[in-house]
Amino acid sequence: MRAAAERLVLGLLYPRELNLYGDRGNMLALQLRARRRGIDLEVLTIGLDPGDTKLIEGCSGFIVGGGQDLDQGMVADDLILRKGPPLAEAVASGAPLLAVCAGFQMLGTHYLTQSGTSIPGLGLLPMHTDAGKERLVGNLLIEADADLGLRHRLLIGFENHSGKTHLGPGLAPLGRVLQGRGNTGHSGEEGAWQGSILGTYLHGPLLPKNPEISDWWLRLALARQGQAVELPPLDDSLEQAARTEAIARATRSDRWVGFRLQGGGLSVRRKFPAGR
Amino acid sequence: MAHLDLRLAGAVGLGKLAGATSRGLRLGGGTTMPGDVARAIDPRVLSKLAASAALGTVLVTGTNGKTSTTAMLRAAISDAGWRVASNSSGSNLVYGLTAAAITRANLAGRLGIDWLILEVDELSAPQAVAELKPRGLVVLNVFRDQLDRSFEVDQVSERLATAVAGLPPTSFWVGNADDPRVASIGVARNGRAARPGLLFGIDDLRVAHAALPVVADARVCPLCRSELDYSRVYYAHCGVYHCRGCGFSRPEPQVRATNITTGGLDSVEVELVEKGVGVLVKLPVGGLYHAANVAAAFTAATAMGVSGERAGQALSSFQPAFGRSQLASWRGSQVRLLLTKNPAGLDANLRAVMELDTSPVVAIALNDGVADGRDISWIWDIDLERLAVSRPLDIVASGTRARDLALRLAYSGLGQARIRVCPQPEAALTALAEAAVPGTPAPALLTYTAMMEWHRLLVRSGAVDPFWAGA
Repeated sequence: MRAAAERLVLGLLYPRELNLYGDRGNMLALQLRARRRGIDLEVLTIGLDPGDTKLIEGCSGFIVGGGQDLDQGMVADDLILRKGPPLAEAVASGAPLLAVCAGFQMLGTHYLTQSGTSIPGLGLLPMHTDAGKERLVGNLLIEADADLGLRHRLLIGFENHSGKTHLGPGLAPLGRVLQGRGNTGHSGEEGAWQGSILGTYLHGPLLPKNPEISDWWLRLALARQGQAVELPPLDDSLEQAARTEAIARATRSDRWVGFRLQGGGLSVRRKFPAGR
Repeated sequence: MAHLDLRLAGAVGLGKLAGATSRGLRLGGGTTMPGDVARAIDPRVLSKLAASAALGTVLVTGTNGKTSTTAMLRAAISDAGWRVASNSSGSNLVYGLTAAAITRANLAGRLGIDWLILEVDELSAPQAVAELKPRGLVVLNVFRDQLDRSFEVDQVSERLATAVAGLPPTSFWVGNADDPRVASIGVARNGRAARPGLLFGIDDLRVAHAALPVVADARVCPLCRSELDYSRVYYAHCGVYHCRGCGFSRPEPQVRATNITTGGLDSVEVELVEKGVGVLVKLPVGGLYHAANVAAAFTAATAMGVSGERAGQALSSFQPAFGRSQLASWRGSQVRLLLTKNPAGLDANLRAVMELDTSPVVAIALNDGVADGRDISWIWDIDLERLAVSRPLDIVASGTRARDLALRLAYSGLGQARIRVCPQPEAALTALAEAAVPGTPAPALLTYTAMMEWHRLLVRSGAVDPFWAGA
C-alpha cells in the first residue's frame, strides 16, 4: 500500500482567459483520477495577477488551454515575462506541462502573424507557429508516438486552429494524424512532446477520453516528488465507451452523418454551410 | 403594377414550385429550397420582396432566443391588427429568409403585408441588413455556440456590430443592456460612430446570482479588455457589470423586466416597465432567459408603434415556437421538448429544471451533426458540478454522443446510477416517459438534429404536428 498522504498541486494557467473548448474537463479528469487513487489533487489558479507568479514554485505540474486570439495576446506578455522563468525551471526539473491549442503554440520559439510580425514564445520547445488563413477544424484522430509507452495509442479529440505549427529537427510529434489535419494540415504530424512537456491541438477535452495521458501527467508529477510511480489501474469502462463512440464518429464522413441524422431533408442540410 | 419585373416574377414562381415539390416529395419542410432556386434566378429577390412590405422589415438576431422572440414579436404585431410574414420555421440564413418571403409573395412579387419579421443567424446578420434595409434590428445576446462554425465569440460580436452600423440612419435597434457584448455595440469605437440603441434589461435582485458561471464569455470589457466586475449575474454573462479600466458599465435600459416569478420550465411572470408604466406579462414558457426575450419583443413592438398595454396583452397569449418548450405526449406521459444547443442554454434550462418541486428526471440528447456543431466539447463548459450537489437528478443521456455526455455527467459527481444511456431517440423518449412524474411534463433538452429526430417520432405517433404545418 502507498502512503495515504499523497498530495499533488495542479497549476491551472490562465483558466479565465484560456478556456475555449471545454478545457476545464482536463482539470476535472486529473482531479478525478487522482482522487480515485487516494491522491489529493489541489488546483491552484495562476492568472494574470503578478502575485500569482510565486505560486508556480509550489506546483507539481501544469495545464494550459486554448483561447481566442485576443485572449491569447493578453496572456502572452505575462506568460513570457513573469510566469515563464519559474515555469521553465519547474518543467526542467520534471514537472509535467500539458498545453492545448493556443497554450501549445505559446510553448514554441515564436509566432509569426499574418502581417509578418514575430511574437516571441516561451521557447520551451524547438518549434514555431505561422498564422494561417485556412481554419483547420474537425474531429482529430492520431496514433501516439510509441515512445510515450501508451497501451492504447489512439488519441481522439477535436481541433480548431488557424495557426500552423512547424516542429524543429529532433522534436517528436505527439502522434501521426489518422483522421483530421494536425499541426500544419499536411505534415501528418500532430502536437509535440519532449521530456515532461506535451503540446497538442486535441481538445474535446483531451484527458477525459484519453485517460492514459492523465496517468502520464500524474506519474510524472508523483515521480518528481520522489513518490511511487506505479499507478493502480482504474475501471475505465465509461471512458472507453466515450472513446469508442468518438472514434467511430470521427471516422465517418460528414455527408453520411448529415443524411442519416436529418433523414435526407434537403432543406435542413442547406440551412447550414456544408463542406468542411 | 404598370410594369411587371419579369425576373422577380420568375424567381418567385419557380421558387414556389421548388417549395411545393420539396414538400410533395417529403424532402423536408421546403423551408430553404425556394430560396436557393429564387436567388439563382434573381439575386436581388429578397431586397425586392422586402421593399413591398408596407411598413418595413424587422430582424431578430443573437445566439439564443431568436425563434421565441420572433414568435413573441409576431404575436404582438399581429394582435395590433397588422399583417405580418415571418420565417416561423426557424430557417434563418439568407436562403431561409428568401424562402419565407417567397412563400408569402404573389406572382407579381408583392408580399401584401405590413411588416416582415425575420429571425436571422448572427453570422448572416450583416448580409441580411444590407439586403433588407430593415426598419429595426433586435440583438439578444452573444454566447459561445457552434465554435466549429463561427470560431470565436469575438468574431460574432464583431459581425453584430457591423450589422448595427449598416442599418439605415432612421432605423432603430433594440439591444440587451445586461450583455456587455451587446450593450457595447452602440458605443463609438474603431472609427465607428456611436449608435445608441433602445435597450432592455432585467432588474430584479431576487433572480440574481452573485458570481459568474465558471466559464463565461464576457469576463473582460469588450471595449478595453480590462476586467469586468459583476455585482449581479442573471444568466450566463448577463447581469450588472462595470469595467475596472475604462469605466464602461451596464447602461440604464429603456425597458426594465422586474417583479419576475419563475415557475420552472412551465411559466414565467414578469412586469415590463417603460417610462415608469408597468405592464404584467405571463408567459406559458419557463426559464429566466424568457423574461429577457419578452422584454426584447416588447421593446421592439413599442418602437414599431404598438402601445405598451396592448403589447403586454398580446405577449401573454403567445404560443411557444417549434421545439421551444413544446409539449407532447408519449406512452401516456407528457414530455417537454427544449432546443438546447450551447452551454448558456443547457445551464439555463437545467437551472429551471432544478426549480421544479417534483424529483426531476431530464433527458439530454447530444448529437454532433453539422447542424449541431461537430464539436461537443462545450458540455464541459457548464458547471454541472454545482448542479450535481444541489439536487438529485436522474438523467437519460441520448444522441450520437450519448456516451460522451454520460462521461461528462459522471465526472460532475452525479452518481452513475442516476445516468441512463439510451443513444437511440425512441429508447430515450420511452425511458424519459417511464420515469416521468405524473402531471409534470418531463423535460428533454435536445440539440438541433436531435430535436428533428424526436419531433419526427412524435409526429409519427400523432402527438404533435409536422413542423412545416404552421410555417
